[in-house]
Amino acid sequence: MTDASTTGIPPELIQVSEENGIPLDLIRRALALGFPPDAIRQQMSMPGVTAEAAEQFISEQEKIRSGGEITIPDEVLAISREKNWPEELIKRALTLGAPAAMLIQQMKAGITAEQAASFIAQQEQMRSGEGGAPQLDLSWMHVPTEWGIRVTPGKKGLTTGMINVGTYADIPDFWPYHSEMPRGAHPIPGIPAMGYSIYEKAELWSENAADLYEEAIQRRWRPSTDVPWESMEDLPDAVEKAMCQLCTHISERSLVAGDIVGGWLPEMSYGYHEVKLYLSVAEFDVARWFEVFRKRALSNGGGMGIQAPGYFHRTLIDARAWTEASAALHILAAGQLMMLFQIGLYTAHNEAERTIFSYCLQDVARQRAYGSQHLKYFLSRHGERRQEISHVLNKYEVMLEYEWDADEPLRGALMILLGGGASAEQIAEGASKLEYFRKRWANDYVDQLAAAGLGERREKVHHSIKQYISEPEEAAAAAA
Amino acid sequence: MAQEVKTKATFPSVEWFNALREIINNDEAYKRHGTCDASVGIKIPEAGKYFVINFEAFEVEGVKETTEAEAENTDFWIEQSYDQWQEMIKNIADNGKADLGHTLNTLDVEYPDGLARSNDGYRRDLFYRFNQSFQHFFDATAQIETKFS
Repeated sequence: MTDASTTGIPPELIQVSEENGIPLDLIRRALALGFPPDAIRQQMSMPGVTAEAAEQFISEQEKIRSGGEITIPDEVLAISREKNWPEELIKRALTLGAPAAMLIQQMKAGITAEQAASFIAQQEQMRSGEGGAPQLDLSWMHVPTEWGIRVTPGKKGLTTGMINVGTYADIPDFWPYHSEMPRGAHPIPGIPAMGYSIYEKAELWSENAADLYEEAIQRRWRPSTDVPWESMEDLPDAVEKAMCQLCTHISERSLVAGDIVGGWLPEMSYGYHEVKLYLSVAEFDVARWFEVFRKRALSNGGGMGIQAPGYFHRTLIDARAWTEASAALHILAAGQLMMLFQIGLYTAHNEAERTIFSYCLQDVARQRAYGSQHLKYFLSRHGERRQEISHVLNKYEVMLEYEWDADEPLRGALMILLGGGASAEQIAEGASKLEYFRKRWANDYVDQLAAAGLGERREKVHHSIKQYISEPEEAAAAAA
Repeated sequence: MAQEVKTKATFPSVEWFNALREIINNDEAYKRHGTCDASVGIKIPEAGKYFVINFEAFEVEGVKETTEAEAENTDFWIEQSYDQWQEMIKNIADNGKADLGHTLNTLDVEYPDGLARSNDGYRRDLFYRFNQSFQHFFDATAQIETKFS
């Protein structure tokens, strides 16, 4: 029953008061001291609690709050000395309203003074009205990195390269940090090393990396919805099989390319994030190639073909340095892949295939752009290693050509696509056109090497590539 | 899909390319391909006509008629005979966009020296890297009623 004496007292406390014979006035005084209702209810419900003990506790708290001296009960004092809890800590706990019995229980349970102090500090903060905010060390706000950076977006928005301003534009020749700390951030001493192996800028840098990253992000495409799959119609059996074999081959090469870049990315330290960013989206590019070519193979009545012999793939995977891997993957192999995409485009039977090969040409051209400019940068810093790179390319050209000769399914598929069928006449026509594309690839390859600073390789490429190279006079005459 | 014809111009002329520039710079679909940064030469040797088109960010920054040497002093140049240019532009006008046999990539593959030529292999690759943008650019010629000089 509610009357004036119960005003302001929560109903659950009224009930406990009646059940345990605790006067309502004591409860009102406890609430006035700031004890939460739940805490009051809990204390009153404990076995052995009497009105007299409650009066004694409340009076002691009222004395403490009004600035009176805190009296530590003898039994609490005795145990605190045994358990090494300082008297000051006990007084703080009593000021907060901790019952003596609870303090004794906690000390006997083995709670250390340090643990208790941390809890008590938290409770004191809450009581002081700071809303329970934890104590923070804000010294991180005074970290000695360059501050006040502002970059205005330009015609292309806010690009990765644009934020390289002030000290954040300092891209050192050697990165001195072994952790994943971002360039420009403040290091914490003692952070364990991540085990990178590439710390020299020349071993991975390309001046266009930031731009290539932005380009790759902007020009990403979705095979599921950007390819007009409904434009595909049944093709002659041999042609469908040939297209499926080409798709199988490209999807396998995509997996290998992903493995190679994926294996080298963790070796690259974070001082050169532009390169890591671009290579990360290049991973996305090759994953998309795998996706789209597998989809093409499995969407028009065909299926997957036979795997590649894999000699060149395994050689690529065995590369011992990133520059070597990149030259082989992004200049040599990418050029051949570009040839395959151009053949696919040239022989496209529908809008779906045209779209697929057009988008892939964009993607692979970006990879070549990274590869040639990285090699150019590397040679500009390590001219003494030109011969080494040339030697490396000798090896990869041999293996690429060996693979080409061994991969009769791929060559046969290309001839059928180029000739339009599998009759003797069509294959002959296809073979002739394949030579045309090989010649274009070979000349394009040496042009890319020249752009990368290895123009002399025109005379040194593997003989089976060199046979296709137009002499400058011949090229000029053809153009005239 | 046919594109609406809004303007008339004679090919080849700087007016024709500027009409195309105007169309592209007001085309939101072109911007969605992404930024495109390239200086592209255009050569129509029999007509003695040479142009340079500057693509920058999301628009065509400028077009000018120039010399053959200047047209070749670009990232890459597109060179076709007058008849080949005419065939490509007419194909686009008839179909609303280039058909399978007349896209830039297809023509590039069919010509032994390529459609896109350059003195630098790296710069020539811009033709491939931004190919969607360049194709969109030329497909927009369907919006011009082209008179051939």
